[in-house]
Amino acid sequence: MQLLAQILANGVLLGGLYALMALGLALVWGVLNIVNLAHGAFIMLGAYVGYYLFTLFDMDPFVALPISMAALFCVGYLLQGGVLNLIARSAMFNTLLITFGIDVVLTQLAQILFSADYRTINPSYAGSNFMAFGVTLPWVRVLAFVVALLLTFSMWLFLLHTRLGRGIRATAQNLGAARLYGVAPKSIYAMTFGIGAALAGGAGDLYGVVSQINPYIGATLTAKSFAIAIIGGLESPLGVVVGGIFLGIVESLTALYIGPTFVDVASFGILVLVLVVRPNGLLGSTS
Amino acid sequence: MTSPHILEIRDLSKRFGGLVAVNGVNFTIAPSETMGLIGPNGAGKTTLVSLISGSIMPTTGDILFEGRSIKTLPAYRRARAGIGRTFQIMKPFPGLTVLDNIAVGALFGTSTAAKALRVAREEAREWLELMDLQHQAGRRADELGGPDRKRLELAKAMAMKPKLLLLDEVMAGLNHAEIDEVIEAIKKVRSTGISILVIEHVIKVIQRLSDRLLVLHHGQQIIEGKPDEVLEDPRVIEAYLGRRRA
Amino acid sequence: MNLRAKFLLTAIAVLLLGALPWFASPTVIQFGIATLLLATLAQGWNIIGGYTGYASFGNSVFFGLGSYGTAIAMVQWQLPFGVGLAFGALLSVLFALVMGLPVLRLRGHYFAIATLALSQVMTAIVSNLEIAGRNTGLVLPLLNGDALFYELSLATLVLATLTIFWISRSRFGFGLIAIRENEDAAASMGINTTLYKVLAFALAGVFSALAGGIHAYWITFIDPVSAFDLSLNVKMIIMTVFGGPGSVLGPVIGAFVLSGISETLSTEVSTVASLFFGIVIVTAVVFMPRGLADLIRRFRDTGWRYFNENVKQHRL
Repeated sequence: MQLLAQILANGVLLGGLYALMALGLALVWGVLNIVNLAHGAFIMLGAYVGYYLFTLFDMDPFVALPISMAALFCVGYLLQGGVLNLIARSAMFNTLLITFGIDVVLTQLAQILFSADYRTINPSYAGSNFMAFGVTLPWVRVLAFVVALLLTFSMWLFLLHTRLGRGIRATAQNLGAARLYGVAPKSIYAMTFGIGAALAGGAGDLYGVVSQINPYIGATLTAKSFAIAIIGGLESPLGVVVGGIFLGIVESLTALYIGPTFVDVASFGILVLVLVVRPNGLLGSTS
Repeated sequence: MTSPHILEIRDLSKRFGGLVAVNGVNFTIAPSETMGLIGPNGAGKTTLVSLISGSIMPTTGDILFEGRSIKTLPAYRRARAGIGRTFQIMKPFPGLTVLDNIAVGALFGTSTAAKALRVAREEAREWLELMDLQHQAGRRADELGGPDRKRLELAKAMAMKPKLLLLDEVMAGLNHAEIDEVIEAIKKVRSTGISILVIEHVIKVIQRLSDRLLVLHHGQQIIEGKPDEVLEDPRVIEAYLGRRRA
Repeated sequence: MNLRAKFLLTAIAVLLLGALPWFASPTVIQFGIATLLLATLAQGWNIIGGYTGYASFGNSVFFGLGSYGTAIAMVQWQLPFGVGLAFGALLSVLFALVMGLPVLRLRGHYFAIATLALSQVMTAIVSNLEIAGRNTGLVLPLLNGDALFYELSLATLVLATLTIFWISRSRFGFGLIAIRENEDAAASMGINTTLYKVLAFALAGVFSALAGGIHAYWITFIDPVSAFDLSLNVKMIIMTVFGGPGSVLGPVIGAFVLSGISETLSTEVSTVASLFFGIVIVTAVVFMPRGLADLIRRFRDTGWRYFNENVKQHRL
């Protein structure tokens, strides 16, 4: 029983971070209808920003968070404005291809610049835990979880209550009408993609603290983000949170009760099931 | 079991969650007959057509085609049996040439033999000429303008050699001259002896083409009969214009 | 250029390629085998992605099933290579039938993601199977003679291309194209879309499986990660799209051209080759989204404006 509680706690903490990872992908997908295969690469780059700020300037990863996010925002904004823009009205499939190409370029650049060695961000409090309800909770994971949820909640507020946020939602729903109201689609698109990248960058910085990073982690993280976005449903940040935590718990339970090598079978197996049975996700509407 | 009717609709209903789109509709269409279907927006006309063509399945009731129930058949089987339809939001094959668009109908439609592409294209050419599209034969379908697109939709459906043709608001978006052209095209189609169900908003089209007229309102049929009688009926006027006019 | 001339040219090209092992160095032959197998994979993808319009990220599963089918048959059951190949192909067809039915109901990128997820699931399942050697994989018996593998790969590519040629002129192929262009219209005109899609998927599977089986026997070693390698799937997509999806020779040309350039660059570091691939994809999608085949066809009329036109048509 104790063990189960620990597993669940681990799963939930992991899930919060997963949710943040998937949030940027879901935003870009839901609003711009762009399926970004380079999403994991953004996470990876955010992790490296955090890593180098830590090793070179002794900057605490939670302090470096806004910098990671800002850096990736610029990358995303420029990519959308300069490259993705050019195929905005092309077939859906071309977006898949081009974002894949960008993923390859970013991954290889990272390999060239940072080498393939595994790295991790190790602040002094990295190993310390605290106990609550008989469960061991590592400080870094709890902090990451809290920050992840805060960012997600801020995202939700942003979309609902700020002018830009409403502009983004309007553009998602009806491009023509949004134009009539003075919304400039190019900059909205670039902004949205930039925000998606920023969220990924932030998630990456946090990921670098709880796990190891190297240039190739992008692919798996993209796949996981997809799984979360689809399982939770693309309709709201809440769905992504539910999806993230659900996946986190599934992975923890699978690792313990079936075996660590079956974790991928479980997560992606559920993804296939959801796609086939309930494509709008666990929280989505059945249309 | 031989039936004198090509199409028989028995107590047909379709429910989407809480919304009843089609409610207990009953009518028949005889061979070589053209039936008009009118009603205000949201009356359930396109839903009815989709139920007949197989895009959606009924909640209750039955659909008999040539005396056999088809309500469980998927769309492609109904097409093979001889039900052709045009779509209100047109569905051409954008990357294919106009000729090849029509050839798809000739290849698949009601023909069971494995036809050679060459033969299908020859058949398609005939429909091309009947619909006055010869000059567009080699162009991509997505390059066509309004009335030509309608003609293409018609030609595609006709190439299937259907026994019943469902025309869903073919005239939408056309001006008067273009409407007259398409009416002529439909008359040519009628002369081949097939049955047609025409959904239209434009009254003159209905009057010139229909043998009988069915009126839907809120998913229910309110009247059926000869066009002149139906159009004078107070219930129909009320449905379109509201109480005060009646 | 009329059909007869094209046929003749292709036949000559095949003969020349077939004669290669007598003239070339071992490195070139090895490069040849890899390229021919990639071209076969590209043609396989062409059937489901190019002609039918269903962008599958799961063709690497067929390759993996072909590899493992052949390996298990030969290593665990001591069966000859031919039987192994057939077994691998059979596994692929079964997979296409069983998984194809639910997954092909999805459209657009949902289908792509579903196949992506499937490839991850299969990798994970196979790495847990005892008979497949778990994570360590299997070692196949050694057969010396790259020339043999070369000719075998060439024969498979020719078979795949002939099949595509048949598809391009058949009622079946026309139906696939109709499904790609407008699936709703295709169904309403009498095409059994489910049957056709599953058949296309299975056909793609057969060729990918054959390529997988030959590849496994050639390099004598397989493990889950390399057999179900997703980057293979991406390579076949890029080569097909670059060469011209929905055309008979496009994917082959794409495979040859891209492999060739990548190989010459590879004298540097392999990362540069991969980087090159990435940049090629991005530029190709922006400037020539309909592939090399279309570029060659239209360049005569439009010249350099071709690239500009493509951008203007598709930008926001």
